[in-house]
Amino acid sequence: MKQKLLIVDDESHIRMLIEQTLEDLEDDGVELLFAENGEQALEVIQREEPNLVFLDVMMPKMNGMEVCHKVKKELNLSHVYIILLTAKGQEVDRQKGLDMGADRYMTKPFDPDEMLSIAEEILNR
Amino acid sequence: MFDTKDFMAHTRALRNVLKRNSETLALINKLAATLALEIYIEDSEGTSLLGTKLNLKNKHSLCDAELNYGALYSHDTSGEFLAEFVSFLVKKELEKKKIGQEVLGLYREINMIYNFSEMISEKIDDASIAVTALQEACQIINSTHGIFLVYEPEENRVIEMAAIGDNPNSDYNISDQSSMLKELILRGTAAIVPVERIKSNPALGHLKTVMYAPLKVKHRTLGMIILGHQDEVEFTAAELKLLTTIALQSAAAIESAQLYQKGLKEARDREEAIKKIHEVSQKFVPHEFIKSLGKDKLTEVALGDQVEREVTVMFTDIRGFTALSERLAPKENFLFINSFNKRMGPIIRNNEGFIMQYLGDGFMAIFPNGSQNALRASVEMHLALKSYNKERSAKKRSLVQIGIGMQNGKLIMGITGDVERMDAAIISDTVNTASRIEGLSKHYGTSILLTDLCKNNLSHPEEFDFRYLGPVQVQGKNKPIDLYECINGDDPELRNHKLETLSTFEHGMELYFNKEFAMAAVTFQQIVKLNRDDHTAKLFLNRAAHLITQEIGDDWKGVESITKK
Repeated sequence: MKQKLLIVDDESHIRMLIEQTLEDLEDDGVELLFAENGEQALEVIQREEPNLVFLDVMMPKMNGMEVCHKVKKELNLSHVYIILLTAKGQEVDRQKGLDMGADRYMTKPFDPDEMLSIAEEILNR
Repeated sequence: MFDTKDFMAHTRALRNVLKRNSETLALINKLAATLALEIYIEDSEGTSLLGTKLNLKNKHSLCDAELNYGALYSHDTSGEFLAEFVSFLVKKELEKKKIGQEVLGLYREINMIYNFSEMISEKIDDASIAVTALQEACQIINSTHGIFLVYEPEENRVIEMAAIGDNPNSDYNISDQSSMLKELILRGTAAIVPVERIKSNPALGHLKTVMYAPLKVKHRTLGMIILGHQDEVEFTAAELKLLTTIALQSAAAIESAQLYQKGLKEARDREEAIKKIHEVSQKFVPHEFIKSLGKDKLTEVALGDQVEREVTVMFTDIRGFTALSERLAPKENFLFINSFNKRMGPIIRNNEGFIMQYLGDGFMAIFPNGSQNALRASVEMHLALKSYNKERSAKKRSLVQIGIGMQNGKLIMGITGDVERMDAAIISDTVNTASRIEGLSKHYGTSILLTDLCKNNLSHPEEFDFRYLGPVQVQGKNKPIDLYECINGDDPELRNHKLETLSTFEHGMELYFNKEFAMAAVTFQQIVKLNRDDHTAKLFLNRAAHLITQEIGDDWKGVESITKK
């Protein structure tokens, strides 16, 4: 089955950066999906059940923490691997994010090479 | 000619336009419907991307110049227009990608600089900043060689702080070309070195490409970073810009490290100066005194600070100092006193006491922790004096004798004076009594004389040997004080004599207090006969002999009344 990767960020340039970073995965048949806010993300996750989600924490409407909580705790979609993205200096949220059920944490500015290798590692499992 | 990379990029863009972007897909479908066209789109490998092929015969290439990356099929030739439109969308998608790639490149750079700044800001010494900066620079900018140089204006020399990469030609080293490096550093610009200049410099013979950037802080240049590669890898303007940024960050870190080190050194110097002042001040106001006031440093005490303590006050005095000093010049006198005090001071301190005051030919010491310390110190002082006398005897100098007296009692230690002139002071009647007891040691001919209060306060009285010398009425005191002689500081011969005759002496004292003066005199006479240096026995022999002929009232208790100080 085709693997799916969802990129969620309210800032279009960040979405574009992540898309550029992870574009090579498309050659391996991974489908890239996008969402620009929490509500949209939740909708896509429910519909597509992506294998991996890069989820920004600070977003309008519904923030990444809430999305994570809903996906992992309410919708029981525990197989959706969620990596929370947060700005450096807000690492205090790390524990909160993990408590919400996030599988991993990454800080922005992210290292593109590191992001790609993490994505490959998770999708190849 | 287009390469495979371009082909892949176009194919991917086509896929994005048709698959990922729902808006463009909707637009294409709407146009096809408006034109009443049935269409089918596939990529160059024949993978279906939109619609179904069925009987669509007209094939229109999706291409960019000569690069053919897919095809649009329609049932008639009007599909040509739609094929052009899709190609246009693919072109726009590629342009967007290109911008995206550039942004990602910049983002990568920002991330590297961010991480570099974070790493470098943790360092507080310039040597480790140099090593880390160079390692990172060589890694971020693909280079095999690097040198981190700092210019020391005061010494007018260029110092190599860190280096990476081997130089096969060790006869020529770039670091040795200090005047050229100094010139480059002071110029403060960054540059990629022209190939001919690399070739003409034997120290760069092993490198194919070289660039450098200054370590600039405000208007100063602290040094420079030079990077090189041994292979034909040309440095780009973007890499030079990156090196300049790394150098700027490093320079700022080096400057703050230098400021930090300077601040640290100043703080250390200040601390050292304060420590010295503290040490010197301790010599004037003993630390034990400050400690007794519940403070740790002299700077903590304030006018009016005071404490009442039960202490032992010891007085010591050089016997016959007046006669001795008359034979010495003032300077020699001073040297003699200092030489004496130098020997005694440590003994007092080692026994938890402190010298409160020097009194010309002696001193007053205070022992806050009881008379055991004071008595131990007294015995040690006599022993030290013996070795001092040995030295003096070898130099044909007159021998020195001391007397020690002590008393226990309450004493107020405090800081007196005014805000401009303060001094450590003690107020106590114990001091007067102790001084008088010391005076009496001369009268009784004892080396150490103490009161019953002192003796009773001893924690280990068994360490010492005593002779009871009876009560004495000291001037200014209402009650008589019982006196004891401690014999442990005496010369061994005299001490042995006193120990051997101790019971005889005690018997003599008993007879004396029982007013059996004749018998007492005979008893003391026996003791004196054995050792004529037993001045105390001699004193009681004389007293008893004198009292034989005296009228003694019933109220006579044997209290010696001493009126002189």
